[in-house]
Amino acid sequence: MAEFKSSAIDCGVVEAVATQAFDVVVIGGGPAGMAAAMAAHKAGARVAIVEREQHLGGILRQCIHPGFGLSHFKQELTGPEYAQRIIDQVHATDIALFLNSMVLGIDSGEPTEDTAVHTVTLMSRDGMLQLTGRAIVLAMGCRERTRSEIKIPGSRPAGVFTAGLAQRYINIENLKPGSRAVILGSGDIGLIMARRCTLEGISVEGVYELMPYANGLRRNVKNCLDDFGIPLHLSTTVTRVIGHDRVEAVEVSQVDEHLAPIPGTERIVPCDTLLLSVGLIPENELSVGAGVELDPRTRGAVVDQNLQTGVPGIFACGNVLHVHDLADNVTTESERAGAAAAAYALGDGAETNAVADTSCELTVSPAGIAGYALPGRITAVALTKLNFRVRRPVDTARVRILANGEEMFAGKVRAFKPSVMESFPLPAKVIQRALDLGASEIVLSVDPVEEA
Amino acid sequence: MTETFDIAIVGAGITGCAIARQLARYDLSICVVEAANDIALGASKANGGLVHAGYDPTPGTVKAQVNARGCELYGAWAQELGFLFCRTGSMVLGFNDEDRAHLEKLRQNGLANGVPELSIVGPDRIHELEPRASTKATCALWCPSTGFVDPFEVAIAALENAVANGVMFMRSAPVEAIEVASSGEDARFALATPAGNVRCRYLINAAGNGAADISHMAGAEEFHMVWRQGNIVVLDKEPRTLMPLYPVPTPISKGVIVTGTVHGNTVITATAAVREPGDTQTYASDVNALLNGARKLVPDLETRRVVRAFAGGRPVIRGTNDFFIGQSAVVPGLFQAAGIQSPGVASAPAIAERMELVMREAGVELHERADWNPIRRAPDDFDRAPLARKEELIESDPAWGQIACRCETVPEAEIVAAIRRRPGAISVEGVKRRCRAGMGRCQSGFCQSRVVAILARELGCDPSEVLLEDAGSWLVEGPLKGVR
Repeated sequence: MAEFKSSAIDCGVVEAVATQAFDVVVIGGGPAGMAAAMAAHKAGARVAIVEREQHLGGILRQCIHPGFGLSHFKQELTGPEYAQRIIDQVHATDIALFLNSMVLGIDSGEPTEDTAVHTVTLMSRDGMLQLTGRAIVLAMGCRERTRSEIKIPGSRPAGVFTAGLAQRYINIENLKPGSRAVILGSGDIGLIMARRCTLEGISVEGVYELMPYANGLRRNVKNCLDDFGIPLHLSTTVTRVIGHDRVEAVEVSQVDEHLAPIPGTERIVPCDTLLLSVGLIPENELSVGAGVELDPRTRGAVVDQNLQTGVPGIFACGNVLHVHDLADNVTTESERAGAAAAAYALGDGAETNAVADTSCELTVSPAGIAGYALPGRITAVALTKLNFRVRRPVDTARVRILANGEEMFAGKVRAFKPSVMESFPLPAKVIQRALDLGASEIVLSVDPVEEA
Repeated sequence: MTETFDIAIVGAGITGCAIARQLARYDLSICVVEAANDIALGASKANGGLVHAGYDPTPGTVKAQVNARGCELYGAWAQELGFLFCRTGSMVLGFNDEDRAHLEKLRQNGLANGVPELSIVGPDRIHELEPRASTKATCALWCPSTGFVDPFEVAIAALENAVANGVMFMRSAPVEAIEVASSGEDARFALATPAGNVRCRYLINAAGNGAADISHMAGAEEFHMVWRQGNIVVLDKEPRTLMPLYPVPTPISKGVIVTGTVHGNTVITATAAVREPGDTQTYASDVNALLNGARKLVPDLETRRVVRAFAGGRPVIRGTNDFFIGQSAVVPGLFQAAGIQSPGVASAPAIAERMELVMREAGVELHERADWNPIRRAPDDFDRAPLARKEELIESDPAWGQIACRCETVPEAEIVAAIRRRPGAISVEGVKRRCRAGMGRCQSGFCQSRVVAILARELGCDPSEVLLEDAGSWLVEGPLKGVR
């Protein structure tokens, strides 16, 4: 039998490879990684950031549009400006930076007592290197869903790009990906790219959206489409790519309430470029390799209230955990993860929990129209920030917290949109009451209500 | 400009490349003439990569004679040519008594065709061999000799070895006309192509879906190709690679098969529908049929993680459904390797062997060269290299430490090597087929602009001249603004 080797890489600790030791190793130098690293540094930890690009900043480097920082810096900034503020902060510290460095694997060794360290194997132009960390923060961000994942039929010519790749060509490489574009998906990147293309002289034939509502933030629909007269076609999707060598046209069709294309509604839209903004997927291949359990809803790690994954000492934050709406929210969340990782690494993990209660072990599940609930586990009786998104827009609904079938809390009636990452502070006393009831699960339910 | 060779092979698919490699050991000048701009751009790249064992073909057919032999030869070919080959064995799953009877028939076929070690097994053994196989399967034909390859890697490796032994490769050279002089002449075939003209003494037709046209142009046998199109789906990598699982076949196809790949992905292959020649579109109905069919064999298959869906046409000769391998009865000196549909990948080494025999019998003089080298060393694969080798590579050139494709862990130096190989990659897809940059789950969202930059630098052209695949498949128009 011929050689048959798994593609999983050999990332055990090897004597020959140079090793450097840290308290906290942060994987990813985007907004999440930088915020986590800064928070860990402030807590007194020796911190390293591993970043595969030559520069810190992550995807913000190519997001040259404004709209960042309104919450975190109380000022409207572009993506690179927002990133640069944090990059400057990082550079003012002794946080070790491993740039142009790609992590190939995380080895958590044997889960033994407090001597356990995680080993991160990375490659760079300088060679192979291993970093050890008492704690690891996963901050690898997300990737874009592709044409294949949404199964658009037709031919496979050049000219089909994810919106982020087109954004890179335009904003980083100064290259024009085409002249006449159709955009599928009204997520924020799709909306931003509709405006960006228009400004760069690439005509945008229209934005097509499978759902009966726009997926991006309301302000982006207005600023990026309405202001430029770009049509948004709801309940419509691309059902065929046409063109053998380069895109020549796409076929679009209206869809029914089950999102299935309606025969007879096909329309051919001539174009040379198809941009896809059809969702983001947390990039967790490294996490899975390290033994981290994922939530099938978020496709990010299952974490507790400290953003610690099921593998002790491995934390996750930002878009690798769940896809955020705003970079500002990534920063805030990641600061929590960094502080918790430092506390873990420095051996005072108990202090991060207001009340360290070994008897507290609750899972959190979504219900109603809530698509997910995060954290998925609660292990301390303390004020806990819950994040969730709804699966469809509703004008009137309320958040309810349930345990053992009993309603513990009901929020006020308001509108919810899938484009917004919602946050809900779960009071310690609600957690305590759930425990008193003998519950093992807290349910976060978002339930539409009839208007009075 | 006209060049003269002893042999011209039309078509650089897996068949043409395998024949070129087989004949390269002899003292002959050989040219492989390819219509597209790279190796294996037809049916050879659009199939499931299965090395079928050979129990399917009806005994007595040409397919039956070359399939099992090809499958047997793969071990040696993989060793010599440095491509990945996994001989995992396979199962044809049966779900009822009717299926069981069919499995027995397949087993008899297999025995007649020389397929080794076939047996019919029950549920316990099925589960032991492939724990993810459907528990509803009551019986299976267990066939230990089945395997799988990357079909384009096989074609590329074979042609690289042939070229290293002096074979010439002409790309972007669709044959537009063939003149045949009287049989007394030394180089009686004259092929006209836009890339130059080729004269040769012997002509081998391995033109895949174009084989009927080549035969017609040479005034040889008239036959017609049917474009039996198949859609194929590639799923993301799994912790454990699946053994190929087949349903009971239909009269025209092996049905929807689920298989692992040499890189740990899962492939679902293939639908079969007669469509317009040249149609390589995927169809929603086909893709759904694949996913549904696959779930019957492997119920827990994560069919949401589609990395790629693609389609191609099997080069089927209308009426025969068999391979056509032999010297033309009409035009002596023309050798046909036509109708190489499934199991063409599995049969390729044996088709090459048989072609050599046919030529020998036709009086072609084959003298072994003293300097023939059967070995093609596999190019360095950073992802699969042990840690110590990774270190050595980066020490030899820092570009081995420069990541380009993150999904498949392909560094810049590996891409450069793919471009500098002979014949090398000249397109983004050509790079992908040689070193997997862009093959992964993000489908080149991260690496495409990097690969374009590397290609432009290595080929000395502008990014706007870099192609995704063949002529016309430009990726960027050019600079947006500023100084060029």
